[in-house]
Amino acid sequence: MKAKWITILLALALLIPLGLSQAQEEVVLQFWHTYNETSPEAEMLVETLIPMFEEAHPGIRVESVPFPYGEFRQTMLTALAGGQGPDLARLDIIWSPEFADLGLLAALDEVMPDFQDYADEVFPGPLSTNTYNGHTYGLPLDTNTRVFMYNTTLYEQAGIEAPPATIDELAAQCDAIKGLGDNYYVFADGGTYGWAVLPWIWSFGGDITDPEITTASGYLNGEATVAAYEFLYEMVSSGCFSPSFIGAAEVDASTSYFTDITASILDGPWMFPIAEAQYPDFTIETALMPAGDGGSISVVGGENIAMFASTAHPEEALEFIRFTQSDEYQLAMSETGQLTVLPRLLETEYYQTHPYYGIFLRQLETARARLPHPAWTTIEEVLTDTGQLILRGEMSVQDALDAAAEEIDGILAEYAG
Amino acid sequence: MNPGTAVTRQPLLKRVNTLLRYSPGHRWYVPYLFLLPGLTLYILWMLYPLVYELYISFFDWNIMPGQVSEFVGLENYREIFADSNFWFALRNTALYALVTVIGQIVLGLAVALLVHRVIFARRVFRAIYYLPVVTSWVVVAFLFLYMFNAQAGGLINYLLVSVFHVLPEPVAWLGNPDTAWVAIDALGIWKGVGWSMVLFLAALQGIPVELYEAAAIDGADEKQQFLHITLPLIRATLLFVTVMLVIGGFNVFISVYLMTGGGPLHRTEVVLSYMYNRAFGRLRFGYGASLSYVLAAIIVTINFVQMRLFRRPTIEY
Repeated sequence: MKAKWITILLALALLIPLGLSQAQEEVVLQFWHTYNETSPEAEMLVETLIPMFEEAHPGIRVESVPFPYGEFRQTMLTALAGGQGPDLARLDIIWSPEFADLGLLAALDEVMPDFQDYADEVFPGPLSTNTYNGHTYGLPLDTNTRVFMYNTTLYEQAGIEAPPATIDELAAQCDAIKGLGDNYYVFADGGTYGWAVLPWIWSFGGDITDPEITTASGYLNGEATVAAYEFLYEMVSSGCFSPSFIGAAEVDASTSYFTDITASILDGPWMFPIAEAQYPDFTIETALMPAGDGGSISVVGGENIAMFASTAHPEEALEFIRFTQSDEYQLAMSETGQLTVLPRLLETEYYQTHPYYGIFLRQLETARARLPHPAWTTIEEVLTDTGQLILRGEMSVQDALDAAAEEIDGILAEYAG
Repeated sequence: MNPGTAVTRQPLLKRVNTLLRYSPGHRWYVPYLFLLPGLTLYILWMLYPLVYELYISFFDWNIMPGQVSEFVGLENYREIFADSNFWFALRNTALYALVTVIGQIVLGLAVALLVHRVIFARRVFRAIYYLPVVTSWVVVAFLFLYMFNAQAGGLINYLLVSVFHVLPEPVAWLGNPDTAWVAIDALGIWKGVGWSMVLFLAALQGIPVELYEAAAIDGADEKQQFLHITLPLIRATLLFVTVMLVIGGFNVFISVYLMTGGGPLHRTEVVLSYMYNRAFGRLRFGYGASLSYVLAAIIVTINFVQMRLFRRPTIEY
């Protein structure tokens, strides 16, 4: 009997130090992101950057949780609704307004005492994608844009000497490329979402809404935007552009580019590391987006880092955000195709002598961002569907865009006032 | 102690026990104790969410913690009936149910008749045909995605173009609404045939052989035997299979979600994928909840009508 009691007491005594050590245990930060796992991005984060941060900050552990891009927004929203969200996330710049609008993000300009020091160091454009209703909810992590990439093998075979400077010149390549065979295309893209169609709309001089984002009527169904869609319809229906625009191609746009089926695409800097890893013999050649009446205007992409209002460890999370704004983090990620958001780094030798960032920086001078609006996801759905109706020839361009403008006006009205 | 209560209590307990068909020696509550774990789980995971979902459907529900949701009464339901996307999704769902239910019944019955006649290794055949039923929807949806790949090397394209020369060039099956339905329907039928086969097989084995012998003596041929003996005698099974398959058909989701995501152009949207997109994509959980209640009401109505149509006196041999 006595022995039994002693055992129980001993067992309890063993639990005490366990409880104590648990109380002092390190803080674990969950960092959710879409850093690409097939290119070196995720590897750089997990194997170099996070260990670097953890070494400098004993007691903080950063758990990297990668997601495929397509599922990320939804998974995050569902998790946050259930109170299971991360501490930090790398958000596509188009999601920041929506997450801020839902009250999920911590306003960094309020909770981060040295916020302004960091804000002053980044490009104002990418920084502005974090601002919603007068507060700033994050800091930019990386920026990018799409430039024109062409396939030298196909250019050589078709006798095309230089990349097109204008949209008209691009269209004029059709005969030469089609001369190689029916299943060769001048250009390919993955669909009719904003990322794909906006460079055409803007370069034709069109737009989706007015600059204040209050109405789509007169812009989305305006003359220049109509001309842009007419052009795309003509190109796709004549077979000059790949049926990948309507999801009816054998392979996706970038694969068809790498495998000498499509002569050109628009894409971002991450294509270089991907090519290196998967198509080592392929050389990507670049040019600016072919110009139209509106100039050579591409679309700005990129990601922000944001802290969730629900985090239990704001101090530690902010410390990681500061780390992402350091030269070390930004330069390391630059090696994986992530363009820095720190202008000061452009003066470094790394950027001055970089083989391919130059063209992206030039394109960024005129590139524009998608609507910084909390309803962007819904608006883009309308845009995507409308583009499909047009390119599949199910509706005339004007009718389809009139209907879309009306629908988007309705969506915008819900957020007005 | 009040002796009066003790006296009145005794007969009452007796009456309750009689009502529950238990003699006083039995502990009447024992079966309920055994039911308790299952019942608890049912209430916790089925009943509570169902009731809560009904509650949500009357709100412009805000899923973010700590934010208020606005009560909108029947507004969500009113919106559904004016929502052309919903009607289109419902039309798609009904067509899917029609095609796959007929496909599963016809093929399931055909396979059952064949397997019923197999003497050698009947169990093996039964297991082979049943295998798709117990396979995960996710796994087979991906399998069909690969089979219906747009490339010339996709299995279906390869067979139709290079082997049988039925098609001149490869088809982007899932990039086109009409052909996407072929893939989705094919998956639905293929995966369900085994289930209806097993049930039909059981029903066939329950038909006395004497009936066929007698019919044969009277000069009935195979076709007549099938129409006048087999079909009437598996009627109950046929009803059960139809009802269950219709419920399953209207609940189609995983295959559509994984194979087309409702696209291209929402042309393969079914009610549940539409519900999912509205709830989780646009965060309209109140609307999503209403959609699933409307779907439930439709399924119950259809099944009620089916039960009515099929009702017949049971057959005794």
